[in-house]
Amino acid sequence: MNLQSSSSNPNFLKLRFTKGFLRALMRIYRHRSKSSSSPREISQRYRRIKLAADASMALAVGSRRLWSRAVLWRIRNQVRNRHVFVKRVSSHAIKKRAQKKKEEQYHLAYDDQENKLRKLVPGGAAMDICSLLDEASHYINCLTTQVKMMRRIAEICS
Amino acid sequence: MGMGDKDKFELENKSEDPMNYSPDMSSDWRFGGSNLTNTSVGLISVGNSMSVSKGDLVGSSCSSASMVDSFGPTIWEHPTNSQSLSFCDISVPNNSNTLSTLGMRKGTPASWRSGIDRALDMCWNPQNSMSKRAARFSCFNGGNFNDMVNPFAVPESMGLYSRGAGMMPGAQDILAGNGMKSASGVQSQKNELNAGEALKDASLTVEHGATDGSLLRNERKSESLVKSHDEAKQGVGNGGSGNESDEAEFSGGGQEEPSMLEGPGGAPSTKGLGSKKRKRNGQDTDLDQPKGASQHPGESAKDNTEQKGDQNHSTGTNKATGKHSKQGSQASDQPKEEYIHVRARRGQATNSHSLAERVRREKISERMKFLQDLVPGCSKVTGKAVMLDEIINYVQSLQRQVEFLSMKLATVNPRLDFNIEGLLAKDVNPSVTCWSFIYASIFPDMPMAYPSLHPSQQGLIQAGIPGMGSSSDVLRRTLSSQLTPLTVGFKEPTQLPNVWEDELNNVVQMSYGTSAPPPPNSHDADVSLPAGHMKVEL
Repeated sequence: MNLQSSSSNPNFLKLRFTKGFLRALMRIYRHRSKSSSSPREISQRYRRIKLAADASMALAVGSRRLWSRAVLWRIRNQVRNRHVFVKRVSSHAIKKRAQKKKEEQYHLAYDDQENKLRKLVPGGAAMDICSLLDEASHYINCLTTQVKMMRRIAEICS
Repeated sequence: MGMGDKDKFELENKSEDPMNYSPDMSSDWRFGGSNLTNTSVGLISVGNSMSVSKGDLVGSSCSSASMVDSFGPTIWEHPTNSQSLSFCDISVPNNSNTLSTLGMRKGTPASWRSGIDRALDMCWNPQNSMSKRAARFSCFNGGNFNDMVNPFAVPESMGLYSRGAGMMPGAQDILAGNGMKSASGVQSQKNELNAGEALKDASLTVEHGATDGSLLRNERKSESLVKSHDEAKQGVGNGGSGNESDEAEFSGGGQEEPSMLEGPGGAPSTKGLGSKKRKRNGQDTDLDQPKGASQHPGESAKDNTEQKGDQNHSTGTNKATGKHSKQGSQASDQPKEEYIHVRARRGQATNSHSLAERVRREKISERMKFLQDLVPGCSKVTGKAVMLDEIINYVQSLQRQVEFLSMKLATVNPRLDFNIEGLLAKDVNPSVTCWSFIYASIFPDMPMAYPSLHPSQQGLIQAGIPGMGSSSDVLRRTLSSQLTPLTVGFKEPTQLPNVWEDELNNVVQMSYGTSAPPPPNSHDADVSLPAGHMKVEL
């Protein structure tokens, strides 16, 4: 655990996350139009900012952790899928939702704590319980750092 | 002839050695006992002095290993290049060639020194990272093998050179990831050497010395009984492999970097390690008998653990032996190893299943305790189920907070423009300014952290601010001049982040599909300067 704590040293994380995140924010704001009150734009920006936060956090951690790799992988796939036809994606999503509901009825362990944790921690589905707890602890660490930093930034900017 | 060549090589080293880091320091610790390569220490010390001189735990041997890997292609090229030249004469161009390699490597030594995580960041692609890590680690292994196998039939003076040349076939094998192959390849190479070709590439030796030095450094760090054993064996050249198995076994005691490499290394590295352990076990048993009784406990423990390593899952018999040798000892669950070495406690079941189950439970409870510290307000909670509930709630709340804050940032209208105007006196890149402003606000305690840095290190500041450019005024205004001493010896932050910041740029850019051009390099350097200051805090 010593090694893990050293690798998830909060100052390291703060530093790298903040840098990446600020840079992304700058870019987002630069592209903002002057009349920027439309909810659609705001929601788009919100999504972008959230994505940037996740990406910069995962990058700050690097590929040392399963969850960070999973996040980066997911982002990359999202970018790829974005170029796919939008209509197809939505119908596919609907089908998936229906499927999930059916699965819910059959999977008795759906509400199990372990599964819940797997859903929360990115990339958790493919981990055994030991590494899941490991990753969860590191993930919590990074999330707290992220929240702290974002809060500070929001304070400054507002 | 061998000695003559060695002297000549020595002369060459001493004469043209602009990159000589600190041969004295490195020679002291690198070969504790053997004076094989005292002469060629200068060139070899590239990676080692880096790792030792800074002494940060994370970076050190991993950085040397990663250094080997990150410049892998170029390194493998150079040996072949120099081999094409005549073997028998140590030509100056050859050395300068290799020295230029060194020069290139010197260009960013500190970047490696700053941490292995940088190197890992560069390959965040999941598949790439695994393969690269495997290659890196097997390269690490390969270095060991060369150490181990070569000097058996080769006199000590030739040891270095055979090792050096042995790296070449080792190179291909390393990339293949099989340590055993490299051993056999090395042996054939050694035969070639014995025929009389004595030229050693400085690059080979350096590179090999890098892994060698890191290994030996770890050997020195692991103060176990086996260390003396290994040093005695080093005349025969078993030091490298001895190191590695030692580290694997005694990693519970110390935070060895190779064991850290082992941990996330994954399956390929562990398989290589396992095969090495078995091989060394055979050698060990031969060499063990003449050794003194002082090493008995350690040796028996080591042998026990080695045997356990051999029979990965037949923990039953080993537990029995473990029980005999260590009556009533604590269960030594060494978390960093790949093999689970558990000794049965007295009076407990020695069934392999129950032991494995117990190990698993202990691991889980250990992690739950760790999580308990992380999640606030969970110190009183006992029980796995409740704890898990709390953890889940906490993670959910954190994620929701992140979403909320990002929404807030989206809606907020940042008054950055005003701040920019307020700060700017000259034409400065606005993004840099507000970034630095925000940065300074976020890390307000930064300037006060290091009042003790004496101004005699100011000389390095000039070197440390290469890319400041026009934004230097702004930075100096926002961050007080006390900060500049912080660049002491941290030149690397200005160079280092360029390596992975481009990557960051690319990914983040790609992630939300904006077509903003990546910030100019000066921007990187500027922003990385406060980043460098940040690093000092760490």
